Amino acid sequence: MDTSSFLVQQLINALFLGSIYALIALGYTMVYGIIELINFAHGELFTAGAFIGLIVLAALQKYGFVQTHFVLTLFLVFGMAMAYVGVLGVAIEHVAYKPLRNASRLAAILSALGMSIFLSNGMMLSQGVSDRAYPALFGLKGITIIGARITYGQVFIIILSLLLMVALNMFVNWTKLGKAMRATAQNQVMARMLGINIDRTIRVTFIIGPALGAAAGVMVGMYYGSVRFDMGFIYMIKAFAAAILGGIGSIPGAVLGGMIIGGVEVAWSAFLPSAWKDVTTFIVLILVLYFKPSGILGEDVSETRV
Amino acid sequence: MIDLALKNVSKRFGGLLAVDKLDVEVPKGKILSLIGPNGAGKTTVFNMITGVYPPSEGTISYQGKKLNNLRSNRIIRHGIARTFQNIRLFKSMTVLENVQVGMHCRTKSGAFRALLNTPFAIREEKEIIEKSMETLEFLGLADHHNEYASNLAYGDQRRLEIARAVATRPEMLLLDEPAAGMNPSETAELMDLILKLRDTGLTIFLVEHDMRLVMGISEMVVVLDHGHKIAQGEPKEIQQNEKVIEAYLGTKVKAKA
Amino acid sequence: MRKMGILVLCLAVAVGFSSMAAAKTLKIGTLSPLTGPYAQDGTDILQGVKTAVAVFQKAGGIPGYKIEVIPGDSACDGGKATMAANNLINQGVNGVVGAYCSSATIPSSVPLNEANIIQITPASTHTDVTARGFKQIFRMCPRDDVQAWSTVKFLEDGLKVKTLALIDDRQTYTVGLTENITKFVNEDKKIKIVALEHITPGDKDFTAVLTKLKKLNPDAIYMGVYQPEGSLMVRQAKALGIKATLLSEDAVYHPKFIEVGGKAAEGTFLTYAKAPDTPERRNFEKTYKKMWNAQAIGSYGYYAYDSAMVFMEAVKKAGTTDTNKVAATIRDNTWNGVSGKIKFDEKGDRKLAHIIWIVKDGKFVPYWDPMTEKYF
Repeated sequence: MDTSSFLVQQLINALFLGSIYALIALGYTMVYGIIELINFAHGELFTAGAFIGLIVLAALQKYGFVQTHFVLTLFLVFGMAMAYVGVLGVAIEHVAYKPLRNASRLAAILSALGMSIFLSNGMMLSQGVSDRAYPALFGLKGITIIGARITYGQVFIIILSLLLMVALNMFVNWTKLGKAMRATAQNQVMARMLGINIDRTIRVTFIIGPALGAAAGVMVGMYYGSVRFDMGFIYMIKAFAAAILGGIGSIPGAVLGGMIIGGVEVAWSAFLPSAWKDVTTFIVLILVLYFKPSGILGEDVSETRV
Repeated sequence: MIDLALKNVSKRFGGLLAVDKLDVEVPKGKILSLIGPNGAGKTTVFNMITGVYPPSEGTISYQGKKLNNLRSNRIIRHGIARTFQNIRLFKSMTVLENVQVGMHCRTKSGAFRALLNTPFAIREEKEIIEKSMETLEFLGLADHHNEYASNLAYGDQRRLEIARAVATRPEMLLLDEPAAGMNPSETAELMDLILKLRDTGLTIFLVEHDMRLVMGISEMVVVLDHGHKIAQGEPKEIQQNEKVIEAYLGTKVKAKA
Repeated sequence: MRKMGILVLCLAVAVGFSSMAAAKTLKIGTLSPLTGPYAQDGTDILQGVKTAVAVFQKAGGIPGYKIEVIPGDSACDGGKATMAANNLINQGVNGVVGAYCSSATIPSSVPLNEANIIQITPASTHTDVTARGFKQIFRMCPRDDVQAWSTVKFLEDGLKVKTLALIDDRQTYTVGLTENITKFVNEDKKIKIVALEHITPGDKDFTAVLTKLKKLNPDAIYMGVYQPEGSLMVRQAKALGIKATLLSEDAVYHPKFIEVGGKAAEGTFLTYAKAPDTPERRNFEKTYKKMWNAQAIGSYGYYAYDSAMVFMEAVKKAGTTDTNKVAATIRDNTWNGVSGKIKFDEKGDRKLAHIIWIVKDGKFVPYWDPMTEKYF
């Protein structure tokens, strides 16, 4: 393996890891943008997505559906996982966050932490404590570019996550509801004054953010081949760092932050002693926040709110 | 014909009586100004009308329908739009997008259809853009439609606030100190604009400190002091009212009507 | 703090004596991770102990004694394990089976040693576990250096590799392994170690590190990790097109490794002790699978079963729960376990050698014996 293929390979590794962090970070940033709450249960929603995907995939495989309708299988697995977790997201918002919307910030954060523990334990009890194997859809076949190897599964996952990010961007910028969402995030009182139904807009945010997390969950399960009830934790930390790094509340910021965190992690393991890998994420985070406290693409949040 | 009627309206914040048994009637298609010294309760009146908070007592009705406990997003559907004393634009949206958001309460496609981008929603979105551009044209902001709201000049930001309110297709417009911070030439333009809006059939309810503007365009003036209505009448009557002059203390009422 | 500790200890001992006198219950505590990433192995251990108690009682038990199992969650964490150990002491246990991670076993063994309670670990292989002169601690599984010796022997004389890369997850157990392997390899000077890389337990993506190793192109890669990371690592190595021989150890020897690793697990070598196929072993497997509705048994299920069994047999044989007498009985006798013959040395270590296994057609198959240097 020569140096150029080594670099290309590490670039692929970083892009892959970065897209998954980015997808999860989007959920944090959207929810924070609209109600200024760190949704600590997001990591568990990601895991729930992976489990729903597993259940659907296992069921389809049992009836030989996967072999005959491959594309439809993918559609069903991702669709069902995203739909279920979207509904779960709305339910959580309704039960755990909505009643606290006018309470102190701390109360809402505690509620979010509680929800996270509740969901994590719920999954442990219903899905077991050990790794669950994900049925292999793509296998190990792949293509070689300049000596670097990328499997079809990775290609599919990178393309799908980029598509989801583009779709989200189009939704937020070009549709009525997307604009309502941005308006609500910027000034809730004014948005309501202009006839925007704030509750509905928040609900939609709690569908989209968790659904993207669920998609990332299915991707992780599919590619890495296993899911476990507590796997959301590490991803939560990384994605949270990504959202902060990019500027929490900013959608392009979350994508950028995810890519940077993925890139830094891979770069560190590739060129420096891997023992220190985990601190790199946070060193980068601290450095960026030192020079730009609102994050790379974050806005100054001093705008008055009533 | 009376559009908006406040009957016996009071607002208490804890022990403070901000508005006391206020009666105001705003006639359709006219310009009515609410004036008074700082802290008189003018913005409180606007906040009650637009559902920021409900009145403690009394009734607010619009075209015969009671508005008392409706939230802001319902009230706008009855045709009452407002601007704020401090500018509240969506700063990281473009000028056009700000106006589009204003128009959304008048469009049909719901959350689900917008999410799926159905042909209907796409066609509707096109119409929204066209109509938003018309509104910007009317307000003289069309050239700036692609700029971020935060990059506009101050006077233009004020006008964009009005444009966004107009985009909700209101029948009545509440303007909270629209001339605040404007220079004389900008204020003169604003007066023309308000008259132009009135001529399209809009009812205008105005809170303003700039007496030249108030006396220049109002057809009726209501004066508030410490939550009480102390006078009501045409601009000329108000300028000669003893109580009003007293309330403003040393403030000389400059009127060149 | 210290005073509190002594107070708790006194209370514990008092409670311990009173409960022994009153109820004549033999209490066996367990320490294993029931939560966290290693909950699978931890559950296997608890189930192994409970199976032993069921089998032992069915065979007559100890006349006049009730036997009770009290589970403790060590969570693979020194602090939590010590708390769980103190809790077991407070409940008056006579013996403890556990813990799992060496990094939990070593701290938790301190209060157990002070309270003089028998401790048998079914899983912790770090040399320090039995190297501190404690008289009441035993180890059912083979030690790190024994396992490292088997590994190096296989690499040098079985595979005859020239270059080797090591990976560990920076935990006491795995670092013990990579350190011992490095030591033996450097002594023999037959193999060159080209890299020592580290990963984080709980991570899922190791592609950056594996790509780095791919570039170095070693003949073999040793994965000093636990099963969840082991499964992911072989998949990613194969996806990256790594051709090096992959080796791992007994913490990866678990049916889940093959289940999750799938085709990528094929051809992986593992070190794990081989036990003779006896009627006791078959009976244990049948009972365990029936009791816990399990398809397969994790390796620590066997060791945990033997740990509990040896303890109960020793109490029966000694005719007392007195720790010093029971410890002497355990040490002085040879026991028939489901993991083979059990004989402890002075330190409390068991004489047990590993063999090399290979994953073939979705099964663990014996491959090479480092003692005889013969293929199976």
